[in-house]
Amino acid sequence: MFFHDLQLALRSLRRNPFLSALMIGAIAVGIAASMIAITLYHARAGHPIPWKEDKLFAVTLDTRDDGPPESFERHPEYPPFQLTYRDARALYASDIPIHSVMMYRSGQVLSPDNKNIKPFGVTTRLTTADFFPMFDVPFIYGSGWARAEDDAPGAVVVLSKFINDKIFGGANSVGREVVLDGRPYRVVGVIAAWVPRPKYYDLNNWGGWEIPEEVYISFGWYRALRLSPHGNVNCVSRSAKIEGPDALLTQECVWLQYWVEFRNRSDRDRYQAFVDNYTNEGRRHGRFPRKNNNRIVAVQTWLSMYDVVGDDSRMQLALGFVFLGVCILNTLGLMLAKFLTAAPICGLRRALGARRSDIIRQHLIEVIVVGLLGGAVGMALTLGGLGFLKVLMFSARLAHSDNPDRVALVQSFVHMDLSVMLAAIGLSLLTGVLAGLYPAVRIGRLAPATFLKTQ
Amino acid sequence: MIEMHNVSKVFRTDVVQTHALRDLSLKVEPGEFVAITGHSGSGKTTFLNVAGLLEELDGGRYTFDGQDVSRLTDNQRSGIRSEKIGFIFQGFNLIPDLNVYHNVEAPLYYRRMSGPERHRRITAALDRVGLSTRTKHIPAQLSGGQQQRVAIARAICGDPRVILADEPTGNLDTTMSEQIMDLLLEINAAGTTILMVTHNPELAQRVHRQFHIVDGQIDQIHQFKRFQAVTTAAV
Repeated sequence: MFFHDLQLALRSLRRNPFLSALMIGAIAVGIAASMIAITLYHARAGHPIPWKEDKLFAVTLDTRDDGPPESFERHPEYPPFQLTYRDARALYASDIPIHSVMMYRSGQVLSPDNKNIKPFGVTTRLTTADFFPMFDVPFIYGSGWARAEDDAPGAVVVLSKFINDKIFGGANSVGREVVLDGRPYRVVGVIAAWVPRPKYYDLNNWGGWEIPEEVYISFGWYRALRLSPHGNVNCVSRSAKIEGPDALLTQECVWLQYWVEFRNRSDRDRYQAFVDNYTNEGRRHGRFPRKNNNRIVAVQTWLSMYDVVGDDSRMQLALGFVFLGVCILNTLGLMLAKFLTAAPICGLRRALGARRSDIIRQHLIEVIVVGLLGGAVGMALTLGGLGFLKVLMFSARLAHSDNPDRVALVQSFVHMDLSVMLAAIGLSLLTGVLAGLYPAVRIGRLAPATFLKTQ
Repeated sequence: MIEMHNVSKVFRTDVVQTHALRDLSLKVEPGEFVAITGHSGSGKTTFLNVAGLLEELDGGRYTFDGQDVSRLTDNQRSGIRSEKIGFIFQGFNLIPDLNVYHNVEAPLYYRRMSGPERHRRITAALDRVGLSTRTKHIPAQLSGGQQQRVAIARAICGDPRVILADEPTGNLDTTMSEQIMDLLLEINAAGTTILMVTHNPELAQRVHRQFHIVDGQIDQIHQFKRFQAVTTAAV
């Protein structure tokens, strides 16, 4: 019966090609609009490190004055997403986490040994040693540095694959030297191509939609180099003053990202108590004027708290589905008109012995065929639309970038992966059924005798 | 074969109700060929629709092939139509984009018959109506008489107990009407009960009995031929 119904469906679509094309087109446009929205949302809403969801936590303390929220604070109920140097150092002393990282992003000038390559600016992450094991950073050569070098930093550096390719031609550069801001460093590791989406561990710069840094040196170099942060520095106390070279070390200004990794849940609870004790103690000495609002949050919560996905993405998604809904309603109307035109033949089939369910099934198969054809055309429109968006939205970011990681990041925003494609197929089927269920049932419930005389 | 007692059918709208059948009673024997006559609007087609289980009756009792079918579900009525009833219409009611073969095949699908069985029945039915060489033609490529023959083939291919024909010659010229009538008589002679609505008095006189309907009731019954009731015996 299925193949018979399928034949009838295809014949029915051929019988009125214009109306069929309108229905397929309406579904295709709806599918394309929603799939583009889903693709953009999916690219932003994915979990960058799901296997560590219950182990990896961002740490925030509420160091703000007890005043009204600042105008720029979107979520005044949450603490700032970075820590002061003083607090980061204090927390770093705890041995409860198996890994702790304090870090920030800066920039330096790299002078290659190869005189054919001019010195060029690089982004630098100053971080403690646990960064690499904590975030499961993949290495192609060597590794990170030892934790002992966090306080007494050695002149060692980890390079991104892009930089290693650029200045060493992709060769194993471990043990070789690079010069950053005139100071020589020994390469201890080269990171493989690695683009966490989003760059959850640092939400500065493009709200986390930026590629990782090109060079990594020990956080301990901050004191010696005084490299300025390339990110937000928010002074959360009215008394804070950014004056003199040590200001960021002493003032109530947040500028450091701080992450910890625990073995288990109880360690996390112990750490929460430790952090709360720390702020309670600080309050006794005149700091932390607000009541405790210390948050130790897993990655997914962290991304949600600080709007990494963003309301605009959700709005796009909602609009995409609203548009799909409009297309479904249009298709429903077209299908109803088409099916009612064929009512005399349905009446005849009922007279010949077809049950209501036979008629409904036959028409449902037709709407599923329409849905799938609409889905196929919609998929093509989606790919075209995403290509157009890539040109429209990201061409400026790509135009000045020779870094393949950045290209990969931009591509990922407009890339339809298998799960999105499967969603498109499912959505097409659902759309077809939603648009066709009522017309199919309606036509199935018509009294068979009504149209026999007019057939 | 068909027995109705005080059957009534009323069509209602918001402002008016029409009594299409009023306490109609009749009995048609197995193997009988009956003509239903009457003026337009007298209830002939409604009677045929009720007899063919296309319409539910509003009152009375209807027994079809020994089974009380007065209060069946829609599915049960479909099942009986599929197994035991063949329809022939004035306008042929062929599916325009199906060829002759597939038009005849249509009712067999709803009986879930296998492909070879369908093929055997279609071939036999088209042979019987003399259209075995026209299987690939679509209805528009056939004359009116040929189209009605296809409709007859479709009606008989399921080997029904009863054929209900609603003015089967109404759209045909005299010669063609005679040929179709001959074919129906031949089918009836083979044992199939036929109820035929017609306006043609000459055709009506070629059957066993004629029921004349006026205002939804049997007004007159004419016996034209002696009918020998069909008896079946185990072979």
